[in-house]
Amino acid sequence: MIETSADSAQPLPGDFAIWIFIFAELVVFGVLFAAYAFARSSHVDVFNASQLTLNRAYGFADTLILVTSSYSVARATLSIKAGSSTACGHWLAGALGLGGLFLVLKSVEFHQDLAQGITLSTNLFYMFYLALTFFHFMHVVMGMAILAVVDYKAYAGRYSAENYTGVETGGSYWHMVDLVWIILFALVYVIH
Amino acid sequence: MQQVFTKAMARNIFLGGAVFFLAIYLLLSYDTWQRIPERDHADKMTPAVLRGKYLLDTNDCIGCHTINGEGAYFAPELGNVYKRRGPEFIKAWIQSQPSGVPGRRQMPNFHFTGNQLDDLVAYLQWLSNIDTNNWPPNIQG
Amino acid sequence: MKYPSQQVAKPYFIAALALFVGQIVFGLIAGLQYLHGTFLFPELPFDVAHMSHTNLLIVWLLMAFMGAAYFIVPEEAQTELYSPRLALVTFWVFLIAAALTIVAYLFVPYAQLAAITGNAALPTMGRGYLEQPLPTKIGIVLVALSLLFNVTMTLIKGRKTSINLILVGSLWGLALLFLPAFYFPHDTVKASFGWWWIVHGWVEGDWELILGALLGFILIKMTGVDREIVEKWLYIIVAMTLISGIIGIGHHYYYTGAPSYWIWLGSIFSALEPIPFILLIVFSFKMLMQRRREHPNKAAMLWALGTPVMAFLGAGLWGFMITLAPAQYYIHGTNFTAAHGHLAFFGAYAMVSLAIISYAMPLLRGRTANSAAAQRWEMAGFWIMVFSMIGITLALTGAGIVTVFLQRAADDPMGFMQAQDKARVFFWVREFAGVAFFIGLLVYLRSFFIAGEYEYADEMKQALAA
Repeated sequence: MIETSADSAQPLPGDFAIWIFIFAELVVFGVLFAAYAFARSSHVDVFNASQLTLNRAYGFADTLILVTSSYSVARATLSIKAGSSTACGHWLAGALGLGGLFLVLKSVEFHQDLAQGITLSTNLFYMFYLALTFFHFMHVVMGMAILAVVDYKAYAGRYSAENYTGVETGGSYWHMVDLVWIILFALVYVIH
Repeated sequence: MQQVFTKAMARNIFLGGAVFFLAIYLLLSYDTWQRIPERDHADKMTPAVLRGKYLLDTNDCIGCHTINGEGAYFAPELGNVYKRRGPEFIKAWIQSQPSGVPGRRQMPNFHFTGNQLDDLVAYLQWLSNIDTNNWPPNIQG
Repeated sequence: MKYPSQQVAKPYFIAALALFVGQIVFGLIAGLQYLHGTFLFPELPFDVAHMSHTNLLIVWLLMAFMGAAYFIVPEEAQTELYSPRLALVTFWVFLIAAALTIVAYLFVPYAQLAAITGNAALPTMGRGYLEQPLPTKIGIVLVALSLLFNVTMTLIKGRKTSINLILVGSLWGLALLFLPAFYFPHDTVKASFGWWWIVHGWVEGDWELILGALLGFILIKMTGVDREIVEKWLYIIVAMTLISGIIGIGHHYYYTGAPSYWIWLGSIFSALEPIPFILLIVFSFKMLMQRRREHPNKAAMLWALGTPVMAFLGAGLWGFMITLAPAQYYIHGTNFTAAHGHLAFFGAYAMVSLAIISYAMPLLRGRTANSAAAQRWEMAGFWIMVFSMIGITLALTGAGIVTVFLQRAADDPMGFMQAQDKARVFFWVREFAGVAFFIGLLVYLRSFFIAGEYEYADEMKQALAA
């Protein structure tokens, strides 16, 4: 079912349904971030002290990885618009690989936290840190699942220079996951 | 150029969103399940406490009262009644029901034995030590 | 009505309305006992009136949902129901089991009922909404299995529309979510945690999907709007329900012994729970404005549009007022919660049930719509019930606020009964509003006894003939 939007000058890339979902997700993350800021304002000492225990090098590496994978997805979209489904598939595979790397790195970090006995109940900062990063972690898993389906279809030749909505749809979601991480990294790891 | 909005994508978002949030909830539930015994001192649930709990359940106490705010709002909170009233008052109160005061809310007499009253009080004492994030706000429940 | 087997919905709808009457009668009794505690005591203690009130609510809503399923699934699948006979047998099993359970509540002391129904072997009794003895719970499962078998087989052999997939899927969810009723851990905190899987899972999750499917079906039928548009927005709305509502369960875990992180997670996600209700209002009225036909059943349209509005007020607005942890700290376990419960259950689930009954019953009785006179009675019943329920809600909210200020947040807090005495005026208002609601229900039921079919105006007849 195709619906023409009222001002179709510059339609959103991909399926409109994913944008409703992206909007909902951003609202959820937005409220989570606002809650973090609100909680921090009344527990500044706890937040500052606990924040220092985080490994910013990991966080920085995570950010680089996700930004690079976002670039890779953008190249995949350009490739399919140029008509090359193989190149599109390769770029998506690259993005998937980087996503996997992110998961590995983040798992190592979670493992170290757990080994130190840090849980959701340790203190308010760690509650937010674990909830936010784990919630985002799950989004990366979900984004990779979506990209994997798109990648499979790209290699199978289901997309073309005329029909690339699916690539844009998956790509839009992945960019959202990347965007949220950048804010999360700044908020939870850096801003002191 | 047209904006695309397909039913298939809307359906996928529904299914994907459902599975995604269910998975997160299940993981959180697992953590909660591990934490509850320390918060409510599950190790202190003696046989007497368990017998008292069974009496409370099978007499539909929450049909009038609340336990930690859950139940009916006809009669007082039981989660902290042990701290509010103490064991002897509770036993005497239960035995003296119904009050029969005209027009006042009535509690039935359940014809509990002395041992059963002790079990009930043991359960109410256990309830009063659960970590409920400082709820209720005061002793009145 | 297109398929003769849809007729099995009729006894379900009639029984639902009869049980609805019973629910209101027990509600009036329980409400009076708040004011005059010795009323009907010791023959009918408050807890028995209360659980009869809530259990009848659940049973009549389930009756209505099942009737709706037997009506909608064949029509959407464009095929006869797999087994009308099974549906009919199931109806009688369910009705008799429900009636016997209520009779047992009334005439057997609860502890004795537990003793003679094997509660000691598998304890399940003594939890809100789940007071039923073990045989009744098993009966509910069997009835659900029969329903699921019947509608799923119908779905498989017929057309698979999104309305049908959401409806049948959510009926499966309803049955699965009931299973934790058989698991009652000794640990009270764990028991409460798991109890919400059923209660929250039903009313703030699964049932919203049923509501969406029922409303979507009615809107397609009555407005003639393109099915594709209705169905894709329906998916978006139910997606929002689950995105906010699944973790939103945390708003039941603040002060019942669960870990503290639920205070944050529950507040954040449950604060988003009104969103699907807002979308549902926008969606319904947009469909109305894009309608391609004027359906003669005005009463059904009124119910269908009233449902999202009242559901938003009850579940969305009243729910939001008590959902954030700092507010709930004072409100939890007061009549404010009961106010939310009343308006949400009525606005969302009772009203959507009455909407599908309003749409389907004339068809089941062989007419497109009831006569104008009958519809006037029905719509009068609608308005009386809606405004009475708002009255009940405001009165209970007032009573809740009295408790908050005198018992919970006061410097020198009052005892429970003292504070209750200060709220008497609100309990009187609630009882009078309850009586008004009952009158509204009788007015509504009166509409079923006005004979005749909807008569088109003369010019309309000529247009139709031409």
